[in-house]
Amino acid sequence: MVNNYDVKSILLAGVGGQGTLRASDIMCIVMMEAGLDVKKSEVHGMAQRGGCVTSHVRYGSKVYSPLAKLGGIDLLVAFEKMEALRYMNYLTKDATIILNADEIYPPSVNFGDIPYPDDIIPLLRINYKQVKEIDATDLAKKSGNVKAANVVLLGAISNLMNIPSSIWEEVIKKSFPEKLVKINLAAFQKGRDA
Amino acid sequence: MEQRILLGNEAIGRGLVESGCTLIASYPGTPASEILESAVVFAKESRAKIHTEWSVNEKIAYEVALGHSYTGKRSAVAMKQVGLNVAADPFMRSAYLGVKGGLVVIVADDPGPHSSQTEQDSRYFAQFARIPVFDPSDPAEAKVMIERALDLSETYELPVMVRPTTRVCHARQNVQCRAPQEIYRKAEFKKNPGRWVATPQFLTTLHRELNDKVDIIGSLKNFLPFLTKGKGALAEYCIVSSGVAYANTYEILDELGFLGKVDFFKVDLPYPLNRDFIQKVNTEYKKILVFEETYPVIEMQFANQSICGRISKDVPDYGELTPEIIESILRKFLPAPVPEKQEAKEIKGVRPSLCPGCPHRASFYAIRQTFPKGIFPSDIGCYTLGMNFGAVDTCHCMGACISQGAGLYHAYAADGPDYPTIVVTIGDSTFFHAGIPALVNAVFTKARFILVILDNSTTAMTGNQPTPQVGIMADGCAGNTVFIPDLVKASGVKFLRQADPYDLPVFKNLLAEADRFCRKDDGGVAVIIAKHPCIMNGQARKQQVVYRIQVNEECNGCKVCLKRFECPSLVFDENKKKVFIDQNSCIGCGVCPSVCPAGAITAEKMEVET
Repeated sequence: MVNNYDVKSILLAGVGGQGTLRASDIMCIVMMEAGLDVKKSEVHGMAQRGGCVTSHVRYGSKVYSPLAKLGGIDLLVAFEKMEALRYMNYLTKDATIILNADEIYPPSVNFGDIPYPDDIIPLLRINYKQVKEIDATDLAKKSGNVKAANVVLLGAISNLMNIPSSIWEEVIKKSFPEKLVKINLAAFQKGRDA
Repeated sequence: MEQRILLGNEAIGRGLVESGCTLIASYPGTPASEILESAVVFAKESRAKIHTEWSVNEKIAYEVALGHSYTGKRSAVAMKQVGLNVAADPFMRSAYLGVKGGLVVIVADDPGPHSSQTEQDSRYFAQFARIPVFDPSDPAEAKVMIERALDLSETYELPVMVRPTTRVCHARQNVQCRAPQEIYRKAEFKKNPGRWVATPQFLTTLHRELNDKVDIIGSLKNFLPFLTKGKGALAEYCIVSSGVAYANTYEILDELGFLGKVDFFKVDLPYPLNRDFIQKVNTEYKKILVFEETYPVIEMQFANQSICGRISKDVPDYGELTPEIIESILRKFLPAPVPEKQEAKEIKGVRPSLCPGCPHRASFYAIRQTFPKGIFPSDIGCYTLGMNFGAVDTCHCMGACISQGAGLYHAYAADGPDYPTIVVTIGDSTFFHAGIPALVNAVFTKARFILVILDNSTTAMTGNQPTPQVGIMADGCAGNTVFIPDLVKASGVKFLRQADPYDLPVFKNLLAEADRFCRKDDGGVAVIIAKHPCIMNGQARKQQVVYRIQVNEECNGCKVCLKRFECPSLVFDENKKKVFIDQNSCIGCGVCPSVCPAGAITAEKMEVET
């Protein structure tokens, strides 16, 4: 029996409207084009109305489960800064964290019941060596559309993966209507350079 | 063969098109909704001629598919698990009478549950009906099983179920796709009253024939569970699993170093479980562990008291089998090392909330304000979130709110004339699904309550599928529109009004008027249709007047708007102790100004962007 436990797990966490699922879709196609086996899980329905949108993406030579277990995530990408805190117990000890500097307030903060935490990054750095903050929303604006923040984050993710950037770019080209391709390619590059 | 990344439900839809189904009927429900939608897309792409429909409920979807199958053509019906409760009547009898063209019944279960009112196991239901059931472990396999199910169905003239779970339906994976199989069959219904009418005198024979079919299928070699052989010292041990539990168990065994050391079976067809397999497991192994979701369907068929599973409670007898739960059970069952103690941290969830600008928010606010002491039965959809406003007190199953409202009324009315106002809320799609007979019954039996039909012109929660009133069919073509007011009038309702809940003062007045009608000598059920399109509908949004909402200095930080109206776009500024508007999420619906007691929220009509 060949031990094929070379599977890596990524958790993408965001709030509704940030393009979290779109980003994870693109990521899956890139992995397929790169010849990897890939599985992803996502949430729909009532579970989606909570505002939190998460997606597990798992890839390797052969993936069985679409779900990573607690303590099994190698890379956490938080599309909203505070979302990173919700999934700490999913991370491996050596996990990498990428966060978008953007802040979106949940109801409890909206109501004024509790303040938005101002020490997220230092808190993460206590336990994790690789924590990278990117102002993806700002970089997306500079690329021409604030909505491309998800693709900026894909650019940052692509640096951590051994997949040629040409594959990423080809898939991004096919994933958007023609008038948005240029903006998204620029966003991707800004994420790579960040 | 072409490879594509497909959602589990897309893989199933693709499988239906590839295997030559010519009719697919469904009613939307998470986690099954995308099956029909993707079948429509793949049918168009490959120019396959398929009748696709969003039926008004699952019973109807099932019967449409059954009728189609009687002519020898391949059919499919797709629903969520509780949809099968609605379709139970035709489902049970179809096992006895059987089918002609293959009929695959796709029932998506929701262990957890993530988006359902129960976590019932449809494989159990299949066993109850004596219908074979497949249990796919991932999207690619679900697609293959659709074809296997149709072949099996045609061979034995039996409906066959495919039961994916949420983690298959809403997983994505690279899937092999091929061109659709072209099966040309002319519709040919062969009359056979002893079978298709089957009065009781025929049923003993049909029941016996059904049992014979199930016995044969239970002995077929091609459904022998797949074995990953263990070579080693653990000869007495075996693990049996099916569905996603198989996928999770595979990886955990690999991680713990036990893959290939212990016999590990994968069951594709949990019912009828292969008889040779039952015999083999019961005689060859002493330590047997079964992982399945969510009820002990495989476990029970072994009829072996020593099995570790859901009945013995070695596996929790409820809930989803997540990788970490499987890991903790495997570590106990196998001679595996005890892990470092992991701290189980509680993840605080976020309360689900209606979207900014949702018309339901306005309706619920008005209902709660008008009748602070009312009782509010409601139903299934986005609007169940009216519970956040204290305007939803019950939610049971599709259409139950109307009859529960009647039952509540009869209870209170028997105690005296001073009964509380009962305001029942139901969505437009739910009303079509199961509300119509309930309304007829309530009118007929002299119940008195207000029924608010929340008509947002769509089935919002499941991804905006059209209703009969929208008049667009599943394939995008026009159907014959059926109007809700016509149905309400035809049900014998004597008070029917329609208003836009965005206009809060008018809507509140209407509620008070309806209450007066209910309490009149010749009163009864009063119906108000709260009509405003779902704000997720882009076309309708474009036609909506947009206001620039601002909060002025009059705001005294009372938080009434936050607590009672609960719009995500209203945000409290801790420093200034005042509310401000999150302009990024605010859609400018213009409702909140009439909510503020201090008159501090202002709305200014904006020029429409072109």
